[in-house]
Amino acid sequence: MNKSISIARYHPEQDNQPRLQAYQVQSDHSTSVLDALLQVQQQDPSLGFRWSCRMAICGSCGVMVNGIPKLGCKTFLRDYPDELTVSALAHFAVEKDLIVDMQPFLQHLNAVKPYLINSEQSAEPHRQTPAQLAKYQQFANCINCGLCYSACPQFGLNPEFLGPAAITLAQRYNLDSRDQGKAARMPQLNGKNGVWSCTFVGFCSDVCPKKVDPAAAINQGKVASAGDFIISMFKS
Amino acid sequence: MKIETAQPKRSDEPIWWALFSAGGVCFAVVLPGAILALAILPALGLTTGDSLSYARMADMVYHSLWGLAGLAFVAAAICLPLFHAAHRIHHGLHDLQLGGGLASKLLCYGLAALTSATGVWLLVKAWVS
Ligand code: SF4
Ligand code: FES
Repeated sequence: MNKSISIARYHPEQDNQPRLQAYQVQSDHSTSVLDALLQVQQQDPSLGFRWSCRMAICGSCGVMVNGIPKLGCKTFLRDYPDELTVSALAHFAVEKDLIVDMQPFLQHLNAVKPYLINSEQSAEPHRQTPAQLAKYQQFANCINCGLCYSACPQFGLNPEFLGPAAITLAQRYNLDSRDQGKAARMPQLNGKNGVWSCTFVGFCSDVCPKKVDPAAAINQGKVASAGDFIISMFKS
Repeated sequence: MKIETAQPKRSDEPIWWALFSAGGVCFAVVLPGAILALAILPALGLTTGDSLSYARMADMVYHSLWGLAGLAFVAAAICLPLFHAAHRIHHGLHDLQLGGGLASKLLCYGLAALTSATGVWLLVKAWVS
């Protein structure tokens, strides 16, 4: 079946703003948006977009499909019988066509020290019970695709906001029984660009392709930050 | 984009968030109950004639709960809901890009505090007179 798709093209040295260009692609029941982009690239090698795994694992193929953040490889043309417009992820600077600058996102992830912090130097494995694992496991499924940042109106208004994935990652390590780094991570969450920039819109959790539920993590983070606030009153 | 290395300042938001949360509970539980008991049921004639009489009300407000019932009611039906609303308006202004800074904070929470104080003052004034 022939299907027409519109793609937002943008060449920073030539264009003032992205412009839509229509292409024809072959589509059947299993054609993903990423497959369609690969077909378009055969017709027009100047089209720029990112992808790698084709199986919703690498997190690099995020785009807006009809204005909603989606993974190109996990979104299918069959679900869009009418119009289909693909554009670059919202709230990020476009480098070319569908490629955005993910640097701010990576910096936010980095700011929360997203790794196990544990001063014990033991060669033994750190054992964990299933209950201890269950506390953070869902939050550990993030693939760093950035869709939640495109969905978040607060990140759109304030790019300094740590944002859903970074706060989820902080929560993921704070809840890990093997970790001792919570005190080092809390200052980032306690600041005005930490958990408190969130107004619980919840769209991040709707768009997350891995069902991580970042909105829940942020709200757990708010409770943790409020607790930290009370403790700090007694300390000073 | 600056690299986040410095530790950010602690936000005072937990205070407002706590008031917002408490106000939300009051909005959901106390206010509907109060509207039912003070407005809808009497209007439908489902209460007895003197259940809202001055003597009974004054006794309840000033004497039950060790004399704190009136204060508890003003807090739960007026003050906390006001802070809940103020918080929403403050963040709503930020979303509309009309505020969200110190000015809107002072305005929103200031008005909530002022109106709350007025409620408490009226209660206390009626009490001592
Ligand atoms: S939380 Fe979900 S939407 Fe956000 S970066 Fe991780 S996988 Fe993507
Ligand atoms: S190509 Fe890897 S997530 Fe889509």
